[in-house]
Amino acid sequence: MQRLLVWGLLIVSGMLAVSKIQAEQTDHRVVTILAERFSFTPSEIHVTIGTSLELRIHSNDTMHGFRIIGNDVNVLVPKRRQGEAVVRFQAVDVGRYEFECSRLCGAGHNFMRGAIIVHADRQDADR
Amino acid sequence: MVTKYRFLYGKIICLLFLLGVPNAMAQESDFELPKRVRSFRQGQLTDVGTQSGVNTEFPASKNLSLRRQAGDGNTASSLVPRTGPISGYMDFHFNNAEFQDPVLDFHRFVLLFNHSFSDRVRFVSELELEHAVVSKGTDGELELEQAYVDFLVRRSFNVRAGMVLAPVGVINERHEPPVFHGVERPSVETVIIPTTWFGAGAGVHGEVGNGFRYRAYAMETLDASGFSADSGLRDGRQKGAESNAKHVAGTGRVEFVGTPGLVLGASIWSGDSGFAFPRGDVSVTMAEFDGRYHWAEFDVRGLYAHAFLDGIAELNNSLQRIVGVNPNIAEQLRGFYVEGSYFLLANPAPRELAAFIRYENFDTQYRMPSGFNSVAAFDRDSWSFGITYFPDPDVAVKVDYTVQRNRSEVLPAPNSFNVGLGWWF
Repeated sequence: MQRLLVWGLLIVSGMLAVSKIQAEQTDHRVVTILAERFSFTPSEIHVTIGTSLELRIHSNDTMHGFRIIGNDVNVLVPKRRQGEAVVRFQAVDVGRYEFECSRLCGAGHNFMRGAIIVHADRQDADR
Repeated sequence: MVTKYRFLYGKIICLLFLLGVPNAMAQESDFELPKRVRSFRQGQLTDVGTQSGVNTEFPASKNLSLRRQAGDGNTASSLVPRTGPISGYMDFHFNNAEFQDPVLDFHRFVLLFNHSFSDRVRFVSELELEHAVVSKGTDGELELEQAYVDFLVRRSFNVRAGMVLAPVGVINERHEPPVFHGVERPSVETVIIPTTWFGAGAGVHGEVGNGFRYRAYAMETLDASGFSADSGLRDGRQKGAESNAKHVAGTGRVEFVGTPGLVLGASIWSGDSGFAFPRGDVSVTMAEFDGRYHWAEFDVRGLYAHAFLDGIAELNNSLQRIVGVNPNIAEQLRGFYVEGSYFLLANPAPRELAAFIRYENFDTQYRMPSGFNSVAAFDRDSWSFGITYFPDPDVAVKVDYTVQRNRSEVLPAPNSFNVGLGWWF
């Protein structure tokens, strides 16, 4: 019984240590984006490769769209006070990913653009 | 022996269990989000579906890898042409101004058509019918306010050509009825900035960093023969109708939108406008600054615009020779306004109500050329206050009252009571 307890404690501490290391390696970021005629704020998001990125997009006026060009991401952003769209990513490739409003929202619709920039190291992302 | 194996099995089960815990913990957030989104979708499903008329199964959540795909931005799907739905906005007004009969006016009926040839080449247009009927006996106009092709090269550099909006002021590029308070657009953005100011042109636009934007266009110039003492530059717009291209105007705007709720902008427009008078040398330069900020349920905005006209004394004399009356056009026009608003009912529509108050000060004869006198009636200011009710964020029912004053002791400025219904879809 005593041996079982010792083994159990060893395993628990080992797993806790491993999960802590894993948590440190996988950075999780939540970014709230305000969509309104005719801008996304923030419109430029910098992350490090491996980051688990969660975008919460809400509108201050009409329904907008959120589309990442060249990727299979195209969601609708509900109208003011009617909820938010949530998009989650795992940044697996370094690069620049431009996004835009995909639902015609007025005269300046094509101005609604932004970029997610995935950097190889944290220093570049923080710069 | 059995006891030993039992102990071993026990350790294996314990190990498997413990291995599963952090894994499950790591995944907890993954499960948590769809639950939250699902609850949103369930909670709002009926409202969203009913009010927006969209498919209620729209994807509110995505969980994907951000991975570069082959031919980024030029994938097969991006090359598929897409014609968007018809959008539009409308403005229906009841105006009751002092000293005049009240009027019911379907002020604007605007339809927007767009088409994406590809992700990088897009067409946008806006066709506007003003005052319901176009005939000799009415003020109705049918106008092509926008019709351009955008060549989207990259976020920081894009090219636009066709019928474009001058990037001057708050309302000129952002004029859908639910986005501004008051039945009528601000007077400063009507008589000082001739909103909606559009014309044939081409230029570049883009955004760099987090929210620094620019637009720079070469576009048709104004026709000075349409300028007046009362309406300023407004009737000088050529509107892309066989516009005289002897001179080309330059216009540009820089804007900061990098802080949530804050927009700061500055614009300039400059062009020679005297082509209708061979011996005249008339030029117009307009500078404008504006800002908007909303925090919680408060919103405040302000704008200052100043137009400088050169060669106006000669223009006034030329017009007097032609029409027999001196138009008394000024060499400087100036106006500003400040507006504050607050959501009294800050609930999801249809329980959303805002109140606003706006002060405007504008003078279409701010500085006269030497030898000409200004008319006091054109030095005006006004207070507008009222409410905007939103049965839907895209539908605005507006009621306001405007107290207008001028410096004339003979010709009083009329106050007005206005009711409006505006919507966007």
